[in-house]
Amino acid sequence: MIKRILRFALLTALLPTAGCWDRTEVNDLALDMGTLFDLTEKGDLKATIQIALPRQAGMMNGGGQNKKFFVLSETGKNHIELQQLLQDHLSRRLFTSHRSVIFISERLARKGLEDFLDAFTHDPHNRLRTFIIVVQDPHPDRIVQIRYPFEEAPTEGVREAEILGDQLATTMRDFFISASSEGLSPVTAAIRSDASSEKNAEAETFRLSGSAVFKGLKLAGFLNEKETNGLLWISGKMKHSRISAPLPKGKGIVGMILVSAERHIDSEVRGQKVKFNIRLTGNGDLFENNSPLDITGKRNLQLAQHALEDEVERQVRNCLNKLQKQYRSDVAGFSSVLYQNHPHQWRRIKEQWDDLFPEADIAVSVKLNLRHSGVTGQPLQLKEKEIEK
Amino acid sequence: MRKGRYQWPIQLQEEDHGEFTSDIEHNETMLKNIFRNCSDIVFRSIRADEKMRWTVVFISTLVEDKLLEEHVLGPLLEDRPCSDMGLRPAMEVLKDRFISVGTVAITSDLSATVRFVLSGYAIILTTGDNRAMSVSVPGKAKRGLEEPSSEPVVRGPRDGFIENISTNVGLIRGRLKTSRLKLETLTIGELTQTEVMIAYIEGVADAAVVDEVRKRVGDIRIDGLLESNNIEEMIEDVTFTPFPQMQSTERPDVVAAGLLGGNIAILVDSTPFALLLPMTFWAGMQSIEDYYIRWPIATFVRWIRMIFLVIAIFAPALYVAITTFHQEMIPTSLLLSIAGSREPVPFPALIEALLMEIIFEALREAGIRLPKQIGQAISIVGALVIGQSAVEAGIISAPVVIIVSITGIAAFTIPRYSFANGVRLLRFPVLFLAGTLGLYGIALGFLGILLHLCTLRSFGVPYFAPVAPLSIRNLKDIALRVPVWSKTRQPPGPETGNR
Repeated sequence: MIKRILRFALLTALLPTAGCWDRTEVNDLALDMGTLFDLTEKGDLKATIQIALPRQAGMMNGGGQNKKFFVLSETGKNHIELQQLLQDHLSRRLFTSHRSVIFISERLARKGLEDFLDAFTHDPHNRLRTFIIVVQDPHPDRIVQIRYPFEEAPTEGVREAEILGDQLATTMRDFFISASSEGLSPVTAAIRSDASSEKNAEAETFRLSGSAVFKGLKLAGFLNEKETNGLLWISGKMKHSRISAPLPKGKGIVGMILVSAERHIDSEVRGQKVKFNIRLTGNGDLFENNSPLDITGKRNLQLAQHALEDEVERQVRNCLNKLQKQYRSDVAGFSSVLYQNHPHQWRRIKEQWDDLFPEADIAVSVKLNLRHSGVTGQPLQLKEKEIEK
Repeated sequence: MRKGRYQWPIQLQEEDHGEFTSDIEHNETMLKNIFRNCSDIVFRSIRADEKMRWTVVFISTLVEDKLLEEHVLGPLLEDRPCSDMGLRPAMEVLKDRFISVGTVAITSDLSATVRFVLSGYAIILTTGDNRAMSVSVPGKAKRGLEEPSSEPVVRGPRDGFIENISTNVGLIRGRLKTSRLKLETLTIGELTQTEVMIAYIEGVADAAVVDEVRKRVGDIRIDGLLESNNIEEMIEDVTFTPFPQMQSTERPDVVAAGLLGGNIAILVDSTPFALLLPMTFWAGMQSIEDYYIRWPIATFVRWIRMIFLVIAIFAPALYVAITTFHQEMIPTSLLLSIAGSREPVPFPALIEALLMEIIFEALREAGIRLPKQIGQAISIVGALVIGQSAVEAGIISAPVVIIVSITGIAAFTIPRYSFANGVRLLRFPVLFLAGTLGLYGIALGFLGILLHLCTLRSFGVPYFAPVAPLSIRNLKDIALRVPVWSKTRQPPGPETGNR
């Protein structure tokens, strides 16, 4: 009997050891939806958080103020200090588990993120699925001030725009992986607020404006949307895209929607000379044809196809030029291609990769396949004789 | 088994009335003494000739007048059997030649005769005989066969048991036309003298279990037995459990199916509910209609029931645990809408859920007890006042109302009423665990329930069989409802080999 009681007591003693006793009601939480980190003139860290204001469903037509969020800002030395300072403003516990985006100002990114990222790896309330985005805006604060009309909070809108996949999207996890990989550098999306002038601080929406290329943990520079498109192609992240290209001899512009895209990279290492051969293939539909050409003819179709292929190649070339010559940063993953295909050579050259990558010889060939040209047909707005067969 | 377990605290001493003698006057006086102050007892004397007379004794409220007149009083008055009918005693001759009723008994045992009178028999005494003849002329009030209200089916037989045991036995016999269907009668209850029958199919039911049931039922000492639940509580293996270890049913087809499957049925007079045992957890989750509809649909329905069983126990607990301990697990937009609806609510989520659960249980209880005509008022008050106004007033948040409603519906998907009751009760401890320990508490609660279910036994059969202990062969009828031709258990009878 005593043995039984003892056994039972031992088992019950186990119960509280595993528990987390942090019972909190939902309405005792301040939900941080997105945080902007900036650098002050004095070199301190400035955090601006967007806190969601949950509204009761069906009570939205009550008139009066219809705010979905409010913004709070504090300056401190590190994350712990910032959290305490921000908490001092609030009657509810600051809750960062639902933070969808971490914005980093250009200023902070250029200074480097070495002493900034550590807290994110420890805090269990921080999700590795959070998107990290560099704000390419002279007034970074405006990105958390936008009154985005959709979604419960504006930054939730940013998150969903990233998920759409039209632009580059980098989560904390991706960022940490590329930052800790040999030879790789992280790249994140870039964003700016839609505010048109200095006065009009509260814009309706944001704009994903390409990508921010890091060299190590320092921001090296930005790529614009078209160059980012090229980056997506060569890093194999391209899902769907729209391409438009002018036809030769000023005949007009054609546009296609890319449905599937693939890339193959062959690599070759000869001594200190590294060669890559990128082959990009894509399938898609011709969506727009502003030329008098009848696209159902094979010759004309090929004409459009070549124009589009040239355009893609130009995008990729521009992107590679910037990465190799200007930023000297391998964000597209060439080092991992080498590591996979030539592990032995890679081990030999990985120390000098930073110098070798800008000199690497990269060839690009593009093959696009335009399908469903019959659906596009002849231009309907033109008279029969104006159409070039 | 502990001694005296089935002893009822109050014991009535049997009165000693003496014995029948060959003096009819004496016998009459004795019976009159026994039935003193019973205004519905009738002593009808019929003179046969100078030397002898007959006395018919019956309780007027228990016998059918027409039967009595036609088969007992008629022959006695019109055919005038008298003393000089032959060498054999008059009573034997009467039985052999005059009384046109099937069930007739002649006994000299006084207490047996008294029991016969109380069971709606007419007793015939005669001069010079120390025995009494009991003639069955039953006329107890009984209602017609109706569809069982606690277990309705869409497709399937519509007859249900009634309060009369012989009608009920007839319903079972009508389905199982075999002499191997055995019915053992016991009388239980010092005052109620309730007829109890143990039914099984010889060769199909486990003989050891039949012996055990016979022993346990026979050991019952009780004053009054009014419903089969009284027996259930007296003979069950484990008392401290919300789960029934015997299946109660008012459907004869359920009993027949159970008997065919090797179960044992206990029928009790004066209640339409029969007991089927042993019972497993899975029997609680299955409806007889599963076998009356096509098997893919029945399988689907079984899965739906399993899902809703989990919901019935854990849904409010999960809601409370996740919204108070693990907010990071909720998708952001869902959390924002939950937070929005909780904004005006003054109570913690646990109190809120508990409040709604208790109100729901009260509504349910009131709905059962109320006269049918007032029942509608309750549903209006329940749906409008609590469902809508409480949410609009910001006292209860809408998600909790939704959760409680789903939980309520979920409990109603469980086909066995007594089993569903147990499940409903378990919701509350799990809710408390969730409110204090979060998901960890729910995990503890789940483990506790599982452990308890696995230790339960019903007449030697593990409650979780055939899942624990595992028997793959018998799983076919648990997770699925396989077509009838591939069922493992065959109906009894000679193997014809052409199925």
